Amino acid sequence: MQMRKVYNWQLGRNAAYIYPQSRPKKQWAIIFDLNKCISCQTCSLACKTTWTSGKGQEYMFWNNVETKPYGGYPIGWDIGILAKLGFQEWEGDKYIGKTLFEAAEKDEKILQHLSEDEDWAHPNLGEDEVAATVNKGDWITMPHRIWMFYLPRTCAHCTYPACLSACPRKAIYKREEDGIVLVDQSRCRGYRECVRSCPYKKTMFNVETRISEKCIGCYPKIEKGEMTQCVTNCIGKIRLNGFVSTPDKSQKDNPMDYLIHERKIALPLYPQFGTEPNCYYIPPIHVPLPYLEQMFGPGSGKAIEAYKNAKDDLTLKGLLVLFGSMERMLSSFKVDKDIARGYDEKGSEVVKVPITEPMYIRDFYDKKLKTYRHNTP
Amino acid sequence: MIRKIIILTLCLLAAGRLVSAEQKKFVELISYKKSLDVSKVGPHDEVWKAVTPYKQPLQRQSLVFPKPADVSVKEVLIQSVNDGKHIAFRLSWKDATLDDGIKIMNFSDSAAIQFPVKKDPLPKDFMGEPKKPVHILHWRAWRSRDKKDGFQTVKTAYPNMTNDMYVFDYTVKGTGTEKTQAEKDIFIPGKAAGNPLSFDHKEIIEELSAEGAGTLTSKKGIENTTGEAVWKNGEWIVVFRRPLIVSDNESVQFKTGEKMPIAFAVWDGSKNESAGRKAVSPAWAEIEVK
Repeated sequence: MQMRKVYNWQLGRNAAYIYPQSRPKKQWAIIFDLNKCISCQTCSLACKTTWTSGKGQEYMFWNNVETKPYGGYPIGWDIGILAKLGFQEWEGDKYIGKTLFEAAEKDEKILQHLSEDEDWAHPNLGEDEVAATVNKGDWITMPHRIWMFYLPRTCAHCTYPACLSACPRKAIYKREEDGIVLVDQSRCRGYRECVRSCPYKKTMFNVETRISEKCIGCYPKIEKGEMTQCVTNCIGKIRLNGFVSTPDKSQKDNPMDYLIHERKIALPLYPQFGTEPNCYYIPPIHVPLPYLEQMFGPGSGKAIEAYKNAKDDLTLKGLLVLFGSMERMLSSFKVDKDIARGYDEKGSEVVKVPITEPMYIRDFYDKKLKTYRHNTP
Repeated sequence: MIRKIIILTLCLLAAGRLVSAEQKKFVELISYKKSLDVSKVGPHDEVWKAVTPYKQPLQRQSLVFPKPADVSVKEVLIQSVNDGKHIAFRLSWKDATLDDGIKIMNFSDSAAIQFPVKKDPLPKDFMGEPKKPVHILHWRAWRSRDKKDGFQTVKTAYPNMTNDMYVFDYTVKGTGTEKTQAEKDIFIPGKAAGNPLSFDHKEIIEELSAEGAGTLTSKKGIENTTGEAVWKNGEWIVVFRRPLIVSDNESVQFKTGEKMPIAFAVWDGSKNESAGRKAVSPAWAEIEVK
């Protein structure tokens, strides 16, 4: 297949794609702080009750949370495609291995891992499973000897979507105004080329309608300047949703650009696939670095270092407290001595949060009521 | 050197001529005239025993990506009869597995017959071309199963699947609980968008038009082709029946004594064949309506 060359900043080089480069005016993006996710699945249910409550969508989770390293929805989505792609390498910040488009088999557009029916049937198999056996007599040490972490996932509304490039009839399109990738429900004919091709397995087949569906990036909310359902309903306040620029146009006061480009703390999921995904993750600090580097690229070590120093890093700390503090999408933010502020597109203040919550210590004995206070809520 | 080039050029020109001459010579199939009601002819009717089948070789689709590495159906037997009012085609091919049930990664056994909407100028044999549409009759095993056992749903695909409650399917009756099917269908995107794949149809054969790869469009509301399909002993037999003449101008029209270009495609569901991953006839053939 004759491929086009497109610039992929996550790989630091030009990479192969089916269509010529055409970036949207704005690019939808989402950031997850993996150090804070507790896998409560409130995001999954917020998404489900909003978008996928119909017949044929029973086991369909546009947003899901899986336990790493062993969990996966569909089962083995990442292990399957990584095994097919084989050992690949980075040279500094530049990816010198092959992307999925570059590793395509003869007569194919992209390297594929096919998930079977059974793989979709257990949305949360392996939840809370750890990476190693807990021995008899084990006690907690720091850092933990045994690790696991939760990985919340949505469609990455990739800059170079595999699903879009795979569709033989152009039923999938990327919106120019916000970069959201959609399956045209009237045009799809259920061929499932997108289901085969998306390496993140975020296009799904609906057996009731016989066509494919995917996360719509909550575009009706985005159009109103609000963040997605999975973001605004997150009780752990681990998510932020907004627009990300390309690194050359990075705006220091844009919260997404600040974390992704300026500080390089939020990293793309499996950038080596070559689709330039727009789901970014603050890596968990307790997970072995080789695993994180495979998942988030070579920037993982530095990201963790910066995150660990957040307590002495006023701007970063300020921005992190804005996570989960508002429904509206922020265009810019500002951090003063004790207060973090967020602004919308027009520059109006949307949110104002104290960086350190004021703490009041009360006496153990309440003289007025003549009783002892308990510190349990 | 110059002489060599001239000889080479002459050879190439001659070869080119041979190829174009070959392309114009179509394989000829015959639709035999029989005195019986062809609009009702079934897959195992006596009439087919008297009609010699044409062995149509099939090859992997190799023009549009992704191309299948190989295809499992390499040959389809074609027979045709007509009664001056209706024409029927009987396609049969070997397929060891029956794929007529819907699941996430189940693909349907399928077959399609393609005709040009207008013979002159003749569109490309692969899905037509812009402003030169083709008319496609597409049978899917899924639809045969729908017709036999009722429209397949998520419940027939996964009987053990669990779900607490669907939107508007209230178990308690009261104010606001009465919802029409259309209101409920808003939560079933394919239906809400009016996608023809999401609805049950009268016939097992879908009629479509195309003006090139990727442009396939269902001819909404047009169901002039009836059919029957039987899978037995590792073989599919599918009968397509339609009137010689129909009122739709964008449909194929047959005339007694005339020839009509025809092409074929077959998909094997168990090999995950779908869309361009298919076995196709290598070029237009022609069918003469006797």
